[in-house]
Amino acid sequence: MAVSYKPVLWNRQKKKYDQILWMGIALILGCFAIFEFLLHPTITIETLIIRATAFTAIILLHIILMIGPLCRLDKRFLPLLYNRRHLGVSMFLIALVHAAFCIIQFHALGDTNPIASVFLSNPNYQEISQYPFQTLGFFALIILMLMAVSSHDFWLNNLSPKMWKQLHMSVYIAYALLILHIALGTLQYEKDLFYTILLWSGFLTISGLHLVAGWKTRSQLRAEQNALKQEGYFEVALLEEISEKRAKAVFVDGQNIAIFKYDGKVSAVSNICKHQMGPLGEGKIVDGCITCPWHGYQYYPGNGQSPPPFKEKLATYRVKIIKDKIWINPSPFPEGTAVEPAIINHG
Amino acid sequence: METLVSIILTIAGIYLLLGLLFAILFLFKGITKVDEAAIDSSWGFRLLILPGTICFWPVLLRKWIKGQNKAT
Ligand code: HEM
Ligand code: FES
Repeated sequence: MAVSYKPVLWNRQKKKYDQILWMGIALILGCFAIFEFLLHPTITIETLIIRATAFTAIILLHIILMIGPLCRLDKRFLPLLYNRRHLGVSMFLIALVHAAFCIIQFHALGDTNPIASVFLSNPNYQEISQYPFQTLGFFALIILMLMAVSSHDFWLNNLSPKMWKQLHMSVYIAYALLILHIALGTLQYEKDLFYTILLWSGFLTISGLHLVAGWKTRSQLRAEQNALKQEGYFEVALLEEISEKRAKAVFVDGQNIAIFKYDGKVSAVSNICKHQMGPLGEGKIVDGCITCPWHGYQYYPGNGQSPPPFKEKLATYRVKIIKDKIWINPSPFPEGTAVEPAIINHG
Repeated sequence: METLVSIILTIAGIYLLLGLLFAILFLFKGITKVDEAAIDSSWGFRLLILPGTICFWPVLLRKWIKGQNKAT
């Protein structure tokens, strides 16, 4: 069926994207390191690496979180979305360097297991100002790791799109953990106001963008719904109510309609079988045909016609899908009229 | 607290070790039973999904067993 998986689907555009990405990363790392060195000339190389990678990773995370709402606000940002996974994996690798150096620097010298030491070396879990902020970074790192290792399409298919989506939504949990990681960590002793301002303006930018984009999506949705209402459509069902190759029967405007879901599509036909008025909506789709549960008469869902040589025809109806809801126009088409099915897109 | 942390870390360690053992079997044999798009896939690809296999092995194991039942 599908072509076989490739490690990375590189093409010219993606190569360019990755080149720019890694040049940008080198630039941020370099600038931060120079800046830090000028401010604190006595800084050790380990500390420099720890801070420069931390800074770069958190900047990348901000960019990643801004891409989604920016694309919803303006289509010109879409090229950024195109290869966002490489951005995410790069961010994880850089954060991993930060975490690894911290663990080596602060936890690998004692005789406790270094990872256990992240949780045990500072037991002030009741205090805010000396909270063991490194544990928060640890949990964030785990989330980022699970996302990075599952970023290939193979995982989208094999973890199921739903689980994959849920997993990747947890980036917001990671973000919250990291804000606390920084606010309860570095910001507790870093007297320079610059860091505090940077952190909170990043947070405000990201939440602001999400609010504005959410508001725009919602008003678009409302406009679409109003347009459909004007055209005489009614909202009748949730997509997830209907299982694959099955139907839901609805009464709308005096019409008895069966709505079928099959092969990523939704079609609506009269719920009443031409044989003895059996309830078609209680039947299922067999070999591509709606099959009456009473005596097995069959009809194509797309046009309501029985497969030849039979001549029975059902009235058909227009269907629309908005987000996760099915809308029906209850004014019937003449029996046997083909109607474009509504396509389900898993967004 | 100390015992709790060491218990959790031990469990996580065992889980990941089992994941590694599973991944070796899976990347040589099971993968083609679970996903037909992986039948002709390269070793570069298999190496790339190795870390994920170690983390998410129970999901793949379940699919592998299910696929086995369907085939026979
Ligand atoms: C096991 C996981 C982690 C550990 C043990 C850890 C540890 C630390 C430590 C000790 C500091 C203070 C460093 C200093 O001020 O000199 C720090 C700061 C910071 N960490 Fe982490 N961290 C972890 C994960 C992460 C992750 C996943 C990120 C993601 C981007 C991150 C971002 C930061 C940032 C932005 C700072 C402030 C930067 C600065 O101090 O200049 N950390 N972390
Ligand atoms: S009523 Fe539908 S087949 Fe008889």
